[in-house]
Amino acid sequence: MENTSQVPVTVLTGFLGAGKTTLLNRILTEQHGRKYAVIVNEFGEQGIDNDLVVDADEEVFEMNNGCICCTVRGDLIRILSGLMKRADKLDAIIVETTGLADPAPVAQTFFVDQDVADRTKLDAIVTVADAVHLSSQLVDHHEAEEQIAFADVILLNKIELVEDNDIVKVNDRIRKINPFAKIIKTTRCDAPLDEIVGLNAFSLDRVLDIEPDFLESDHDHEHDDDVTSLSFVSDTPLDMDKFQDWFGNLLRTKGQDILRSKGILNFKGEDERYVFQGVHMLMDASPMGPWPKGKDRSSRVVFIGRDLDNMNLKEGFENCKSA
Amino acid sequence: MNADLETFQKSNKTELERRGSVFNIGAPAIEAVTIRNQIVVGFGDGTVRFFQSGFEPKTVKAHEGVVLSMANYADDVLTGGDDGRFLKISSDGNIEEIFNFGSKWVDCVASHKDTKVCSSGKTVYVWTKNRDKPQTLDHQSTVAGLAFDNKGKRLAVSRYGGVTVWKLNNNKWTSSNYTWKGSHGTVTFSPDTKYIVTAMQENQIHGWRINDKADLAMRGYPSKIKSFTWVGDTPYLVTSGSSDAVCWPFDGKEGPMGRKPIVVANGGKELATFVKALNGEKAVFTGYTDGSVLLAEIDESKKPIMIRSSTGAEVSTIAISNDNSQILIGDMKGSILLSSLWADN
Repeated sequence: MENTSQVPVTVLTGFLGAGKTTLLNRILTEQHGRKYAVIVNEFGEQGIDNDLVVDADEEVFEMNNGCICCTVRGDLIRILSGLMKRADKLDAIIVETTGLADPAPVAQTFFVDQDVADRTKLDAIVTVADAVHLSSQLVDHHEAEEQIAFADVILLNKIELVEDNDIVKVNDRIRKINPFAKIIKTTRCDAPLDEIVGLNAFSLDRVLDIEPDFLESDHDHEHDDDVTSLSFVSDTPLDMDKFQDWFGNLLRTKGQDILRSKGILNFKGEDERYVFQGVHMLMDASPMGPWPKGKDRSSRVVFIGRDLDNMNLKEGFENCKSA
Repeated sequence: MNADLETFQKSNKTELERRGSVFNIGAPAIEAVTIRNQIVVGFGDGTVRFFQSGFEPKTVKAHEGVVLSMANYADDVLTGGDDGRFLKISSDGNIEEIFNFGSKWVDCVASHKDTKVCSSGKTVYVWTKNRDKPQTLDHQSTVAGLAFDNKGKRLAVSRYGGVTVWKLNNNKWTSSNYTWKGSHGTVTFSPDTKYIVTAMQENQIHGWRINDKADLAMRGYPSKIKSFTWVGDTPYLVTSGSSDAVCWPFDGKEGPMGRKPIVVANGGKELATFVKALNGEKAVFTGYTDGSVLLAEIDESKKPIMIRSSTGAEVSTIAISNDNSQILIGDMKGSILLSSLWADN
């Protein structure tokens, strides 16, 4: 199902001052030997090492397709289709978003626009977080929380300015919002570029990497509109019809509050594992080969979002168990 | 329904392929325009090439990256590129830089007689005769399409949320908005200038009757519409985006409102990606995702003719020379077929 001619796209988010520009500068100035196109907002720098810098204005468009939370990045559709007309092949495309941007429209663009989906693929959402200020930003700004919630990789930056026990605290705070992102602790965003670009994190088979250790259902939080995560595990096989009814209805009715969803499913009577991954109301799902021999066939689902307590998720998931 | 394309696919070279020339440029063919007896094509490697029957194509290195858009301008061509340059190129290869937008792309270009127009970002720049400095027309969102009506009196600018139609009176531009939710791309006026039509981000086209802004929503396509062309005296607006060439009738008071389109040139599994009218005839060339091209009359009872067989890369442009003697077909892998349309030539 992987189409090798699709160019991978890394989306770079991060709250103001977290170090996103430092990372962009590294991508543009390091001798990485690959050909990247970097889509930036008012950056004004030129790349060396063959990189291409494209100026963009974030333009969030509503699709006229009846899906109420279906917003996409119109500028990105235009620029990606322009880049795909180039005679030379790009190794990767990096999209910078502004500090206050909601990452959902960027991610949704790759689900909604067929031309974009045919020629490119969302590789990973990488969020740069400021280890010093993240805790207060999470309290004050929805956008900071959303950027953590959507991330596949989080660079916890400026750790040299924070005491060890405070790093543990901020790490735990991130984990509560997002149990599946990979957290890399950095000083001046000094992570190797190959841990940031070309990860295939949005590929469905990476859903299988969900680490059970992170899946705990404790979720004490201060405000009702906090972003939290919930996860469920079942050793009893699920009923496919019941699950599709419940999950489809859930995304249709609560998709605005569910930022990300991921899962591995064991359906009764099916030999193959099913995996899915969603952004708000949109999702990809597909069978992903047989279960590994000798391993437990347990279903696991993770939700990241707001107001999850009022969605009867546990009850809904339990009801999907086959009789 | 029989797939017209499949019945041909097993056959050998077409008549036009036998008498024509094939050029492998190695970069996607983006757009083609005609000047005098030449067909000029912009490519994904920044080159502009002048094709003429009996001659080797002349190559001009115009842009750094991609030639994003083209228009003819008397005997020259205008091009916009992703290097931020808006250029006028003559057939002897002379390049004149009209404007340089730096790191911003020049997405769309258009012309009418002495007027040169391009868009970069949300702004349209208009150079009228004898003026060094452009007039600017601003919009709420990035401009995605430009079209003059055939008299050059009105300029349609498509964007998110609809189309702005600009009129020039006494050196002053006034605008009128045509609104429809969603993102609008390529735009065209009907030949009688009674309608404007856009290809949308969604799998549909949208039209407005200009005098009363009545909406025409034309839906039901399995993919995005990347190309349309006006055909015949009716006229029909023929569109890509489906396995057929979908032909909407724009005659009478109501145009296609409440009517069904005629569908011709069925491509079976392949989707139509480019359509081009055969001048003076009620017939259309349709190019498909696999590179093949059919010529069909707009008559569901007639059989189409195979013009080009499959190349494996989608047809991205078709152009007919001004004297109606030559056809050029280009695809996304950069293969170009140049051939005479008629056996006697």
